[in-house]
Amino acid sequence: MSGPTLRTLFLAATLAFSAHAIADDDPRIERQDLMKSVREAAKPVGQMMRGDMDFDADTLMSSLETWLDVSTKFGGLFPPGSESGEETEAAPAIWTDREGFDKALAEWQTATQAAIDAKPASLEEARPIVGPVFNTCKGCHDNYRIEEE
Amino acid sequence: MRRPAIVAVALVAVVLVTAWWLTSPQRMAADSLPAHTPDVAAGEQVFWVGGCASCHASPVDGRRAKGEDKLRLGGGLELDTPFGVFRVPNISPHADGIGGWSTLDFVNAMQAGVSPNGRHYYPSFPYTSYAKMRVEDVIDLKAFIDTLPAVEGLVADHSLGFPWSVRRGIGLWKRRYLDTGFVMADMDSEQLERGRELVEGAGHCGECHTPRDGFGGLLADQWLVGAPNPDGAGRVPNITPGGKAVGDWSVSDIAYYLESGFTPDFDTVGGSMVAVQENLAKLPKSDLDSIAAYLKSLPAR
Ligand code: HEC
Ligand code: HEC
Ligand code: HEC
Repeated sequence: MSGPTLRTLFLAATLAFSAHAIADDDPRIERQDLMKSVREAAKPVGQMMRGDMDFDADTLMSSLETWLDVSTKFGGLFPPGSESGEETEAAPAIWTDREGFDKALAEWQTATQAAIDAKPASLEEARPIVGPVFNTCKGCHDNYRIEEE
Repeated sequence: MRRPAIVAVALVAVVLVTAWWLTSPQRMAADSLPAHTPDVAAGEQVFWVGGCASCHASPVDGRRAKGEDKLRLGGGLELDTPFGVFRVPNISPHADGIGGWSTLDFVNAMQAGVSPNGRHYYPSFPYTSYAKMRVEDVIDLKAFIDTLPAVEGLVADHSLGFPWSVRRGIGLWKRRYLDTGFVMADMDSEQLERGRELVEGAGHCGECHTPRDGFGGLLADQWLVGAPNPDGAGRVPNITPGGKAVGDWSVSDIAYYLESGFTPDFDTVGGSMVAVQENLAKLPKSDLDSIAAYLKSLPAR
């Protein structure tokens, strides 16, 4: 293949990729997808806490890592112009009280990091460490998320 | 022709006297109180089920009180309703609140909806539910509130339109809607009876989850089937086994939701249920199981 053809192909591929990326990059969708992954990670942890599933330190650790990862990305997904549409449940308070929102994010991150550092090895050890993490989920939703029916 | 005039005057007088009598506040007598030694710890549990703090705790920086601030019952929250704005009063043990009230005064407020100076309360204070509580629980509750911080400050009066501004008229409303009997008559176990007492009485779940008729009375034949949201858009969900979400939840799912605030698919509790859930999380697990069992025993609607 000649140089120009290759270059054209490459260019087309790049363009196609970035067009795709733009659609996928909608911060409203991206942040909802992140929260969905947070929910999936929470399910097995909740089942362990309820005693419906045997305690498993690795599963717990992997959920905590997911939350820690999301907590570092989530705050960057609320640019101006993303306040509404795409069924977002983000509350206006995120933009009017950014300081409080960042604090809620930091609380989540701190509680999650503390749980990781504690390396709980049994349900009895995990309960008092996981509870505070779950409370930070509710604390943030209470102020910065509105639930649509 | 004097006679018809006299008859007319007499008729009006009879109507007025009847209306006066029909609307007159009915207080309970002192000797109707049982001999009961107040239990402060039990009273604290009643306080959380009753959700007193959700309305009476003074807001902090315009937001719902959290943590220890829930125990500062200075009032001041505004309830925006179709009838006007209610301003929730101070019920802390300060002279501006209920400091100096007798146990009988308190029981009359909570269960007869009558103030110490003999005026009717508006049912925005959910005494139609509290009327179904055991008197002993109300006495324990007062003992607990008496241990809380005394908060100074009188709250401004409500801003209601006519005729809602006339308290006397509530007497008629009460004759129709104030009922100490339970909605669900037959319960086959002690656990279900406990659940009923918590849900229909102190927990006042029906105040949000049951639709109302045109006068604001709860529709007993649509008990807990869901209702328009009193504070904004959307609906308060149906929590009978016919409910869209709750229908698929087990007793243990419901109990866990009340304890943790997480639904079985790990979404979090929202809206005005957040405060209710935070309160219920302070109850022993057995009580949450009783509430869940009671909800599951309701007819699916
Ligand atoms: C710092 C704030 C914050 C924290 C902490 C937080 N969330 Fe969220 N969550 C949000 C916001 C904001 C939304 C709405 C996002 C949107 O719709 O744009 C949301 C949405 C969700 C959703 C709905 C996702 C969807 O679109 O279907 C779930 C489920 C969820 N969060 C679960 C959790 C769980 C579980 C935790 C704790 C482990 C948690 N969240 C912690 C802010 C937070
Ligand atoms: C949904 C909100 C709400 C809840 C929950 C609530 N109250 Fe009230 N309460 C009110 C309102 C509004 C009034 C004022 C009624 C009036 O002025 O007629 C009131 C009045 C009172 C009064 C009379 C105060 C006075 O100065 O005369 C007492 C006592 C009281 N409430 C106690 C309680 C207790 C105890 C609880 C918990 C078991 C409770 N309330 C729960 C809204 C509420
Ligand atoms: C102040 C109003 C209010 C009171 C009082 C109240 N609820 Fe709720 N409840 C709500 C709202 C609003 C929701 C919807 C929450 C949401 O959107 O996450 C709800 C949701 C629920 C749900 C979950 C249903 C679903 O479909 O997600 C259950 C179960 C429930 N309530 C039980 C109770 C019980 C039991 C009581 C009494 C102890 C009670 N509620 C008292 C307002 C209230």
